[in-house]
Parts: sequence; C-alpha cells; structure tokens
Amino acid sequence: MASSSTVTPPQSDKPLHYSRWRRGATPVFVILGVDVFAVLLFGVLSPAHVFLSVQSFKDLALDGSQTVLLGVGVAFLLGAGELDISLGANIILSSVVGGKVMVAMAGSGSGAAIALGGIVCVATGATAGLFISIVVTRLRVNSFIATLATLGIMTGLADVLTGGYDISGIPLALQRNFGIASLFGVIPDPFAVVLAVVIIAGALLRRTRFGLRTLALGSSREAAVRAGVPVRKNLTLLFMLAGSCAGFAGLIDLSRYTTTNLSGHTTDALAAIAGAVIGGTSLFGGRISVWGAALGAMLAVILQDGLVVVGLPSFYQLIAVGVVLIAAVSVRGFTDAEGRSTLRVVSRLQEGLKARKDSKEVVGARG
Amino acid sequence: MTPAEGMEPVPAPTPFGSPVGPGQGPASLATAIAVDGIWKSYGHVQALRGASLAVAPGEIVALVGDNGAGKSTLLKVMCGAVTQDAGRVSVGADVFPEGTVVDAQLHGIGVVYQDLALAPDLSVLENIYLGHEILLSDWRRLLGILNRKAMAGEADEALRDLGIELPTVELPVNLLSGGQRQAVAIARAVKWGRQVLLLDEPTAALGTRQTGIVRDLVKEVANQGIAVLMISHDIPAVVEVAHRVVVMRQGAVVKEFAAKGVTIAQIVGAMLGETTVQGEGEADRG
Repeated sequence: MASSSTVTPPQSDKPLHYSRWRRGATPVFVILGVDVFAVLLFGVLSPAHVFLSVQSFKDLALDGSQTVLLGVGVAFLLGAGELDISLGANIILSSVVGGKVMVAMAGSGSGAAIALGGIVCVATGATAGLFISIVVTRLRVNSFIATLATLGIMTGLADVLTGGYDISGIPLALQRNFGIASLFGVIPDPFAVVLAVVIIAGALLRRTRFGLRTLALGSSREAAVRAGVPVRKNLTLLFMLAGSCAGFAGLIDLSRYTTTNLSGHTTDALAAIAGAVIGGTSLFGGRISVWGAALGAMLAVILQDGLVVVGLPSFYQLIAVGVVLIAAVSVRGFTDAEGRSTLRVVSRLQEGLKARKDSKEVVGARG
Repeated sequence: MTPAEGMEPVPAPTPFGSPVGPGQGPASLATAIAVDGIWKSYGHVQALRGASLAVAPGEIVALVGDNGAGKSTLLKVMCGAVTQDAGRVSVGADVFPEGTVVDAQLHGIGVVYQDLALAPDLSVLENIYLGHEILLSDWRRLLGILNRKAMAGEADEALRDLGIELPTVELPVNLLSGGQRQAVAIARAVKWGRQVLLLDEPTAALGTRQTGIVRDLVKEVANQGIAVLMISHDIPAVVEVAHRVVVMRQGAVVKEFAAKGVTIAQIVGAMLGETTVQGEGEADRG
C-alpha cells in the first residue's frame, strides 16, 4: 500500500461516533428544545401562566405516558419498514379484556385481581400484535392494510365484549396505588414506568442483535433476508412489542379512570406515528430514534393540552397535530433530498472522507 | 491455442462437463465447487439445461454469456438462493442437494450479488456482521447484547486482509463510494465464505478506477486459495483477471477457454453460437 503510511486511519477503538447522528437524523436535543419552547409558549399564553405549574407538568406527564409508549412501539415498527395504525383500538380492546378479568376477580381480593388483570391487558395487546404479524408475514398483507383491518376488528370486538358500555367496577386500589400515585410525589407512576420502558427500548435498539436486525429489516429487507436474518421471527417480535405497549397503555387507562374508554383513542396512532417521525425515525425504515420518538410524542401531547389551556376548542388539537406532522415530514423530505445530512457534522465527515479518498487515490490499491 | 500453455500455475481444474463429486479421484480433490447437470425452469422458461462446471481452489473463472444465457440462475443455484429441478452442487467433498442461503454459507460459499445486498443505513461493521453477530458472553448473551468491540476489531481485520482501507468501520454504507461498497460486499462474502466466492457482475456499476480496485481484490481473494466464479459482461476486463473463461448459451455451458491467449472474438463467437456448439470435450485443456 503505497500511500498507507501518509494517511493514518483512526484507531478502531476510537471510532468516529457516527452511528448516533445517523440513527436519529434530528438530534434529540433539537426536539427537546422544541418541546421546551412549546411548553414555555403555552405557559406564557395560558391564563395566570397555569401551564407552567407543577400540577400542569404532572398532568402533562400523565397524559403523555400513553402516547410516548405508543410512539416508542411504533418507532420500532417504522424502523423495520412496517406500520401499525390499530394501536388505539388495541388499547381499548386490551383495557376491556383486562378490565373484565379484574371485575370478575374482584371478589377474590383486589391485589390478585389487579395483578392478573394487568398481565391480561399486556398479554391481550401482545396477542393482537401476534395476530397482525401472522397476517403480515404469513398472508403477506401489507401492514398498513392489515392494521387498517385490525383497527376495525379490535374496535368491533371491544364493543361486542362490552355491549357498547364502558366497564365499571375496576378495583379502586389500582387508581389509588398506581393511576394517580406519584413517585416521590413528583413523577406520576405511569409516567415513571413509561420512562423505564423508553430507557430499556433505547438500550434494546443500540446494544442488541434485535435492534440491529430491526434496522436492517427496514433499511433493506432483501439484504436482511440474504444475510440469513430470520425475518418472520423478528417481525413477529416487533408487532408483539408494539402490541404490548398498547396493552400497557390500556392498563394505564383503567388505572387512571377505573373504567374503559370505548369512544376514545381514535387519534392515538396518529399522535404516536407523528411523534416517532417528528423525533427522527424514518418513515421508510432503517432509522430509529427512541428518545426522539418519546419527545416527539410529548410534543403532540403538549400541543393537545396546551391548546386546551389557552382556551381553544379541542377540535383544534387534531388539526394542530396533523399540521405539525406534515411540517416535520416535509422538512425531513428536504433534508433527505440533500443527501440525508443537513447536520454540519455529517457534511464535514463527508468532506473528510472525500479528502482522504483523493489523497489515497484508491482504496484497497495494492502497492 | 495449445493446452495448458495459457494457464496460470493453479491446480488443474476438473474437466468441465464431467461429473464431479465426492471420491472421484484426484481431480475432485482439486475442486472447490462443482455443479453437474443443473436443470431449472421458471414456468415455461427453461433457464438451465444441464449446466455443468467446476472451479478449483485459487482459480478465477469468468462466466460469460448473452442475456438470458442462464448465468445468474446458475450462480443462484450455487449459492442456495434458487433450488434446481435436477442436477447437483458439490462443495469440496460435500454434496448439498437443495441448498438454502444459510446452507451455502455453512459450506463456505460467499456471494456478492449484483445489487450488493447491503443495508444502506447500517454501518460497514453492521453489514459485515448482519446475521453473524458476535454477542457478549455470560448472561448478556441471553439478552442478545452485541459485542461491538470484538466485531469492530474483526471487521477491521477482514478489510485489512484484503487491503481495503476505510476511515472507520462505523461509517454507514450510504456514505461510501460505489467501489468502497463493492469492496465491503466482497470482504463480507469472503469473511463468511471461506471456500468459494461467487460474484454477479461485480463491476457493472463502477467506473474505470473502481473496476481496477475490484479486480485487484478478486485477485487477492484467489491468492488466498479461495475459488472465485464471476459473472461479467465486461469481457476484456474478465480476460485480464480470470484464469479460465466459461461460456454459457441457452442454459448450458457450451465452451471454455484458458484466459491467456484467447481472443475476444472467440469468446463472443461462442456466446452467439457462431462456432459449432459441442457440449463436452471442447475445452482447450490437457
């Protein structure tokens, strides 16, 4: 290698920390900044700056916990090139099935009823995910169509199971000890659990084989297949993971209101997908930002809550979330068109690479 | 052309067209991979009609032919991506009757597809190890936690072995040039295919300089004793790098030449069927 002595490649134990930038094209702190800005803006606009009170923050965290959970689940699916638009219906169905178990078990002590009902909630969500994965991987139905179908199926199933009436009689201990309880009196319990889920999901993405293969599935399905990645198994796990998130969100419903919410959650999937995409997860797969998805989902919640606090009718919330989604995706479209890299650090790296290449003439040239 | 005159000093290749399998004398010992009488049809289209060929360790064989001659299908049969209707593939002394891609990998067959099959969003390191990830030991293994340090070290080594230099294996593939991507795909194929390297149009999308890089890489791979079979339309380039040129037409191997001394007109003539097409015994080889 004639020129190898003139150019010293970086040591392999000190690699350019490139992957982090690439995985979430918009750095997490940018989205965090947007979140903070939105909170401050609504704080200033809200009567007596009530939006900046501790109670308001707690409400925000509580309201956000379900959306954040779904946002993280859907980010993994998007990263693998799949989608689930039936997560809202999954929340309802999971809470109905879990709620029915809790009511039926209420006689044998609320502790056991809550524990079993909680497990059933998550298991129902996971089962729904398993069903979707079978439709997608075995029947080869596109996941958008498959989950459009399960959106109808699960909504209908929840109505059939309840006769169209919300379930009552959920043990109050669930609400008292979890739904409205706070860790250290500050962090709402459901939010604390969701925070833990986000941390675990982040590690899952970066540190594990599952995370790597998830990104590979979305980046190039064909490449993953030819590399011998068990595609069906991975997709099944992914749909079940997202379904479990919805199932846990169903449990949060029960714990906050001690009832189901049959008519709600119609826009949860929109908010979750918007959050994930705003947060830097690619709609086309291959790129996931877990923390970006969480903060993006929080942005949707801040918009929803903030608009209420400043006195706009709730109808405007939906419009706002939709508009922000379009804005986020179109901004991303422009940056992608310019080589996936508006970040200066990326272009600098590219320049560096080019310079290296030029100085070396050829890669792998033999001396 | 006289026999053997133009041949590189490589182990004597098995005469093409003759059955090659386990325990068939010294010739089979010098065979890294052999296909024998492969038939394959897609509906009404007969893609392969009894194609046979063999590649020796350290030998570079170029597979040429017109569009639709069956080159890519034959290569896919060899790497387990397509299952043949009849005929057999043997690697060394092993026959694997109906391969899967994983099967072929276990037999030491590495493939560089025409589209490279790299995941553009993943890093060089991740692409090389996708499907072969190294995990940490102890309980962390159960959680599937990656040993990135070990993978980075080995990937770096695999690239260096072939003389490929990249600033870092952490670079995402979509930032690499065409030649660099090709190099990564070859390094990956060699890392997991210790016996045989199959390349489908390795230089089709590349410029002159990058074609040179790939050509050098292929030579380096063969120098390490790996059998190389490459499909290419670029006949002048192929003649330069290969030891042998095998011509396919209408789903069968119709002619082969030692690369040294052969003229492009001879090869093109065989591709188009202008010479008398005879199956066996037509090779200019002793």
